[in-house]
Amino acid sequence: MFKSISRSLKNQRSEVPKHAFILMVLFFAFFPLYMILNISLKTNDQFFNDPLTPTFPYHWENWVYGWKQVSGSIYVTIFLSFTSTAFNLTVSLCAAYFFGRYKMPGGRLFFMLFLMQMFIPGVVNLIPLFALLRELHMIGTFAGVIIPATAGAQVIAIYLLRNFIEDIPQDLFDSAQMDGASDLRQIVHIVIPMCTPIIVTVAILDFINHWNDFVLPLVVLGREELYPIGVRLYQLDGVNLKQWGPMMATYIIAAIPLIILFIFGMRVFVRGIGTGAIKG
Amino acid sequence: MKNVSVSQLKYHWRVYLFVVPSLCLLLTFAYFPAMGAIYYSFFNWDGGFVKEFIGFGNYVRALGDPYVRHGYYVVAILVFANLFKMIPSIAAAVVIHRLKSTRSGYFYRVLFVIPMIIPGIVMILIWKYFFDPNFGILNEFLEFTGLMDALIALDGAFGWGVFLADSAPAWLSRPELIIPALIIWGFPWVGTIGVLIYLSGLSGISDDIYDAAKVDGAGPLRTFFSVELPLILTQVRINLILMIIGTIKEYGLTLVLLGHTGGPGGVGLVPGLYMFRRAFYDKETEMGYACSLGIIMFLIILALTFVNQKFVRVDK
Repeated sequence: MFKSISRSLKNQRSEVPKHAFILMVLFFAFFPLYMILNISLKTNDQFFNDPLTPTFPYHWENWVYGWKQVSGSIYVTIFLSFTSTAFNLTVSLCAAYFFGRYKMPGGRLFFMLFLMQMFIPGVVNLIPLFALLRELHMIGTFAGVIIPATAGAQVIAIYLLRNFIEDIPQDLFDSAQMDGASDLRQIVHIVIPMCTPIIVTVAILDFINHWNDFVLPLVVLGREELYPIGVRLYQLDGVNLKQWGPMMATYIIAAIPLIILFIFGMRVFVRGIGTGAIKG
Repeated sequence: MKNVSVSQLKYHWRVYLFVVPSLCLLLTFAYFPAMGAIYYSFFNWDGGFVKEFIGFGNYVRALGDPYVRHGYYVVAILVFANLFKMIPSIAAAVVIHRLKSTRSGYFYRVLFVIPMIIPGIVMILIWKYFFDPNFGILNEFLEFTGLMDALIALDGAFGWGVFLADSAPAWLSRPELIIPALIIWGFPWVGTIGVLIYLSGLSGISDDIYDAAKVDGAGPLRTFFSVELPLILTQVRINLILMIIGTIKEYGLTLVLLGHTGGPGGVGLVPGLYMFRRAFYDKETEMGYACSLGIIMFLIILALTFVNQKFVRVDK
């Protein structure tokens, strides 16, 4: 008995360096987040004296000031990210159904077309895309951001979703077919319920990507009141230069919607990305 | 999966309708502009309606453009550095996987996801602050750990003239420090998604294999190379390809960190940023020339991916 206790203690001890390593990495990974939060509550004087540790009193008015600076663009970004994600999921789910459920003539060629898109550098596209959007009178409109962004983002979504649709047992589709269910019904009643975790994962990834989108809106929107948060922060970077507290407050505010998203989607996301990757 | 042959198409043609929206989007907003880029690259075009055909003129000019050469020189350094920056994610995943308690494994997994809530641009801007010579954290950290003294000593020995005892190094405004800053950026270089992907690959290893490795007397490092690495090699390779493509394409980072000029002396003017500047920022926009730069970049990416596919083989 003593032997087993001493062995388990020894096992415990061999775990310590592992935990120490992970915690050290996590410390550095969390450090930026801590600094944003920390400095966002300081006046400039507090910041100059002690940037590293929290100082009292907290200055929540920085947050109010920051909110005034970016609230408009937060609404814009929520709208843009939400619409783009919904649009993307709709078209990607249909396309993934096409690729995952059927082996159609030409299907492989289409799939290659989608994958090839990843090799085209975005900045190459950007210039002729700008010219195209100008022809279509979409410069300065939200559609000019949402539609091209979706066209690019769908590739990875289709790729991930297809792998999962392929794995759905064929019997399910067959029996649905027997009952006279159309393809659309099969998507709604079989694919969506069976693939919820990966759909949620794709949605979260996509939402974050659109939230981070920066160059396309900068080039396409061109008017300050239409700017999403990324462009707005870039623009404020010059303006807020000597106002450290409010500047960091705007960074926190920019992250809050993503924090909320994670609170709800975290569990599914951590699992979904794991399984999605194995198949990939 | 259901196989539909050409003769069955008349019953199943409707299935194509499901791929049509995606395909239309792809062709209109990805391939059509890409084809446009090829077309415009043969013209002297400022973005307006007037353009003049100059054949391979833009390409000839690009090959002799010192900015282009410099850009790819910087990118080559960054790709090389990013190769090493892939290690922390792999290490973190392996260590988490080796934890005996699955509960703390899950706990860490969740913790690694949390930094994802920081929007990309905020991450760049916060590093811009870290690099600040007077208020930034990086210099303070170097002072605190004594690394600054070491750097100053090294500087004295090699005569870089960058790290001096009497003035704090200005990471983003000294030409010599810009490339180091672009490399340091993002420390500890642990990509959330990367860690989760590696972990999922590792989860296929059963305890028996570990026990067998132990019996054979394999140490932690040996276990890594003979048990763990082979199992995540596919993921490592995919990430390697994506990293190379991403690094060559990248210009958002340098744009935000250094501005559209690429910082003092244009040291940070990576090819993507140079192209962006030529197309949208310079007084005389040269969209035709920028397009030719883009096509060159596309060809380089394609070639590297091909090499990668060919030589970094995974035997499964």
